[in-house]
Amino acid sequence: MSEILWAEKYRPKTLDEIIDQEDVVRRLKQFVRERNVPHLLFAGPPGTGKTTAALALARDLYGRNWRNSVLELNASDERGIQTIRERVKEYARTVSLSEIPFKLIILDEADNMTSDAQQALRRIMELYTATARFCLIANYPSKIIEPIQSRCAFFRFRPLNKEDVFSRLRYIAEKEEVKVTEDGLEAIWEVAAGDMRRAINTLQAAAALGTVTAETVFKAVGMAKPKEITEMLSLALKGDFIGARERLRRLMISYGLSGVDIVRQIHREIFGTRSGLNLPEDIKVELADLVGEIDYRIVEGADDEIQLSAFLAKLVLIGKRMRTGRTK
Amino acid sequence: MSVSIPWTEKYRPRRLIEVVGNKKAITELITWLKSWEKGTPKKKAVLLYGPPGTGKTTLVHVIASEFEYELIELNASDIRRSAELDRIITRAISIGSLFGRRGRIIFFDEIDGMSGTEDRGGLSKIAEIIGISRVPIIMAANDPWDPKFRTLRDMSLLIRLNRLNRNEIMRVLSRICMREGIKADPAALRLIAEFSEGDLRSAINDLQAIAQGRKMLTVEDVKGVLSRRNREHDAFTVLKLLFSAKTAEQAKAILSQSSLDYDMLFQWIHENLPYQYRDPEELWQAYEALAKADIYFGRIKRTQNWSLLSYAIDMMTAGVAIARKHPYHFVKYRFPQRILLLSRTREARRLRELVCERIAKQIHVSKRYASVEMIPLLKVIFCSNPKIGAKIAKALELNEDMINIITGDRRITKEILKITSQLEREERRESLKSSRRRPSSPLFM
Repeated sequence: MSEILWAEKYRPKTLDEIIDQEDVVRRLKQFVRERNVPHLLFAGPPGTGKTTAALALARDLYGRNWRNSVLELNASDERGIQTIRERVKEYARTVSLSEIPFKLIILDEADNMTSDAQQALRRIMELYTATARFCLIANYPSKIIEPIQSRCAFFRFRPLNKEDVFSRLRYIAEKEEVKVTEDGLEAIWEVAAGDMRRAINTLQAAAALGTVTAETVFKAVGMAKPKEITEMLSLALKGDFIGARERLRRLMISYGLSGVDIVRQIHREIFGTRSGLNLPEDIKVELADLVGEIDYRIVEGADDEIQLSAFLAKLVLIGKRMRTGRTK
Repeated sequence: MSVSIPWTEKYRPRRLIEVVGNKKAITELITWLKSWEKGTPKKKAVLLYGPPGTGKTTLVHVIASEFEYELIELNASDIRRSAELDRIITRAISIGSLFGRRGRIIFFDEIDGMSGTEDRGGLSKIAEIIGISRVPIIMAANDPWDPKFRTLRDMSLLIRLNRLNRNEIMRVLSRICMREGIKADPAALRLIAEFSEGDLRSAINDLQAIAQGRKMLTVEDVKGVLSRRNREHDAFTVLKLLFSAKTAEQAKAILSQSSLDYDMLFQWIHENLPYQYRDPEELWQAYEALAKADIYFGRIKRTQNWSLLSYAIDMMTAGVAIARKHPYHFVKYRFPQRILLLSRTREARRLRELVCERIAKQIHVSKRYASVEMIPLLKVIFCSNPKIGAKIAKALELNEDMINIITGDRRITKEILKITSQLEREERRESLKSSRRRPSSPLFM
């Protein structure tokens, strides 16, 4: 039903279908043969097949009714200790109904769990090993506390190489009867690199515009980016602080972007060759430093709108300096 | 509620006898205007001043129409346009029209709105016009004692409008209630009048906000609404004190004089900083201070170490106040828009959350990923290819409002809806046909 989004439609369903990450797949298949699984920790950059491998493992292990034996949670959405205590514990303690004597709990984006929640999780992992196995998925395994890491079998997922991404994209394009040019593929690689999900998403968006060429790819990517980011920056540089702040509010409230999302997009915009801001080199460096500081402050717990407003105020000043010709 | 004109407009006096209060000032103004009949008087301009809502604009309009003058009205933004100015100057130096009317009055309203630095040109333009004018000129301001008005003050006759007293305001309010068919408890009207502190406009606005569409008005109705305005009034005063503070100590003392709590005051400062500080240097320095205060607030929240609070307050009061390099200028402070926006967009944000939840579940990603990565992508598809968009919308079971969250464009949303309902009809027909043959799975795309 959801098969309409290609990233989902062409997600490998079984371990056999996964062509990359050979080491990982070989070890996982061994678990399936033994019908026993330790606690798992999957680590690696986005779009390298961590979630796919976890779901494929579940299917191979439990068969058709795999959903009855698997709890899938995304820790960035439910990162608090409350969820761990209630949902996970409740699920972990009840006995499995399948032939496999344990259930599988997939905790995606586990590195976004609070440390309190991780401590609670550690206890649950110990107490309910007989009835539940955990598969933790993380981009940054170092953000998982040591005691949990040491209880898990560790799997590292590597970014996909270009040939594998291209051959997958060609396969999908053929199935979907979409024309793809070579420079179209190169453009997707520029946008997504080894992130397969992003690559497929970009392919689908560009295909909605017609033949997938470098032009349609960049056009789709440009359309997906909120125009308010560039507007906000150029308004501030022109001296219109109030207009810039209004864009900022639109980004945060209407688009639902977090301060960190916006900070990262600003960073991309400063150095992006396609942004059209045309900043002098020394200003780019000065701004990068400033953006880094704002990023740190927000992650540390400061308020995003205030910190970004302060950043915009600085931009107004820099803009004035640029116009009057003083560099410092 | 249907679209309604503000009562302040609907019941604005048209005749002089309808104007309440300030009899002395009115007589003064009329005397000055009549003196023009005997030739150009010594003072060619009047600076009409007084707190907001005392009837400055109304009075000028009423007098002009009563004495048959043509009124040429300008506000701060008109004065910045030089083409506009030239037109006025030509009119100002020409003598009154020959067609019945006695002549023209040039009226510069809300000259406080012009800042001392940016619009210095504007203010001296006004002075220049007064110099060459052969027609009466009236200006209106809240605070005539601002140093930037010195030249204009010297050239003008100053006429002060006082705050209206409670009885005067009550008289206007009860007349409006009668015309609107509202049975109002005099005690309720007295309460509104008292809260307005002599500002008739705010009293009428309050009355409309509370009483429009009702048959009755009681004291209880009034009480709930007015407490909020009272807090706003307090915020105006506090901000004015803060932004005009001369020393760090003065600025620091301000919070203790306010009934606002510090985080509300923080939002007020944040909202109004760019209106108060127009100079980029000032604005940046003030925001640096505010951002530092915010960092302290973050640390307090994380560590629950409340002894840090005093540093945060230092930064947001003294830190913001000492950023000022130019003299204080009058600003009409605004209620923090962030708070308004958050409450106004609550429904849309809830819908967006639902859409994200649905996407997240379908494709095994977090709601955040759905929001930041998938919704923009779907927008591209929906807007550039509504046909495919419709299929996706159907698969995700999105309703009209949800589709609109993604497209952000009602027209495209409608188009997609048309296609989805068409798809559904075709599907029904297909399933009828195929029920006779073997069942087939629906084919997408």
